[in-house]
Amino acid sequence: MTDEDEAAFDEFLAARSTALLRTAILVCGASATDAEDMVQSALEKVYRHWPRIRHDNPEAYARRVVVNGAISRARRRRVIKEITFAQPPETPVESPDLGLRDVLVAELRKLPARMRAVLVLRYWEDLSEAETAALLGCSVGTVKSQAARGLARVRARMENLEGVSA
Amino acid sequence: MNVEEALRDAMAARVAGVHAPPSLGQAVRQRSRRAAVRFRTAGAAVLTAAVAVGVPVALTGQPGTDPVAGGLAGPGSGAGAGITTKKTAAPVETGSGDTVAVPEGVVPDVVGKSAEDVMTLLDDAGYTVRIVKVVTGDAPEGTVIAQTPSPGTTAPAGAAVMITIATTVVSTSDTAPDAQTSWTPQDLGDLGDGRTLGGVHVGYLPKDLEWGKWSGKDGFGTESYTTSWVEPGLEPGVYSVQMIVYRKAAASLFAKRLRGYAGQGAKPIDVDGKRAYLISLSEGGDEINDGGTRTITWTLAPGVGIEVMMSPDYEAKLGRAAADRELRKIAAGVALDR
Repeated sequence: MTDEDEAAFDEFLAARSTALLRTAILVCGASATDAEDMVQSALEKVYRHWPRIRHDNPEAYARRVVVNGAISRARRRRVIKEITFAQPPETPVESPDLGLRDVLVAELRKLPARMRAVLVLRYWEDLSEAETAALLGCSVGTVKSQAARGLARVRARMENLEGVSA
Repeated sequence: MNVEEALRDAMAARVAGVHAPPSLGQAVRQRSRRAAVRFRTAGAAVLTAAVAVGVPVALTGQPGTDPVAGGLAGPGSGAGAGITTKKTAAPVETGSGDTVAVPEGVVPDVVGKSAEDVMTLLDDAGYTVRIVKVVTGDAPEGTVIAQTPSPGTTAPAGAAVMITIATTVVSTSDTAPDAQTSWTPQDLGDLGDGRTLGGVHVGYLPKDLEWGKWSGKDGFGTESYTTSWVEPGLEPGVYSVQMIVYRKAAASLFAKRLRGYAGQGAKPIDVDGKRAYLISLSEGGDEINDGGTRTITWTLAPGVGIEVMMSPDYEAKLGRAAADRELRKIAAGVALDR
């Protein structure tokens, strides 16, 4: 790896690592430290292939590695134990929607890992259905149906909550 | 607010305070050096079999759990007793002296400390310590410069914690061999061509490899032997192919690990009439992992387990297919030394 490759990798990290970490947290439902460990391991793969992939959309490659790693980790964790989903201290406490946000995040966490990944990629990463399908290696139809089912569950929970508070 | 917006908002709030640390690049680079030789593992390695099958992890550390783990531990080897006695009350086997009950804990921050202190600390905490050494001028020799998993992560007792230890390059002109290799054990002395250790002879190696001029004894359990072969010119502490021979207590742990691979769905292949697994393993060696280290592992004879791993760098150089061919050829050439 040349010095220029190294410098480009640093630039890439500066620009993208926080976004990757956030996506990992949302997809695998882990704490920031667990997700960081996972992102490190995903980025190691990126680093390993960096000279080859740096000119060919490294962001998409990195995102795919992170998301797939997060899905398999989420599945593995499910067997071992449920993760405590801590409220990050930075969340503004004065927000009127705090309760709703918590409920939605908790609901998101209950979804199967792949369905959750679809919602995160579509509504957090703002990827198109086609991009999401390409990343997850499934059909656009699967993305549509998974997104619809996931959203329906979140919506049901939300309406239920609003019904109670109204 | 419609559901998409609400969800977007909730996700944004969830991760608003999360930022990648500036040290990430360094951590990634250190991790990518894992081609470094591994020469020691210690602590509650007995649990690696349980980790490999996934479920019993949740069971360990809970006194009085049912005898499931005992069943998994297999026929009454001394090491099998390690699992059951960890759960205090289980009356099944009482052979092992290891009765320390270590609940799931938090991995301590060990970066910056001396390697020897850290090994003791992690051993005491019940973790399996794995070591890689990296040549660097940025830290004093013998200090820990990286760890996996990160500090603060929860990990069950027996989980592998990998520490990266700084070692220094010695200029070639005034090389004192001991200084250069002070973190590489020479437990077995001069092995000549490096092909015979632990009562096992390696008949075939890829042509471009030579002995790595180090060897370790008992790093992977009592009566284990390891050494590596390298492409000439590789930096110290890095391997191309490493072999571990497991005998006695180490062999029974090894046998459990082998069963764990089958439990994870690995399909055996035939090596010289014996069932071997050719798989990619995670850092800890317990878990099959696509991005892991290519490894061929089998029982050569009753009580003799062999593991041959290829560094990711060397595998990448050969290509997966050729790498697998070489590993199979190496495995076929391994025989008991007569």
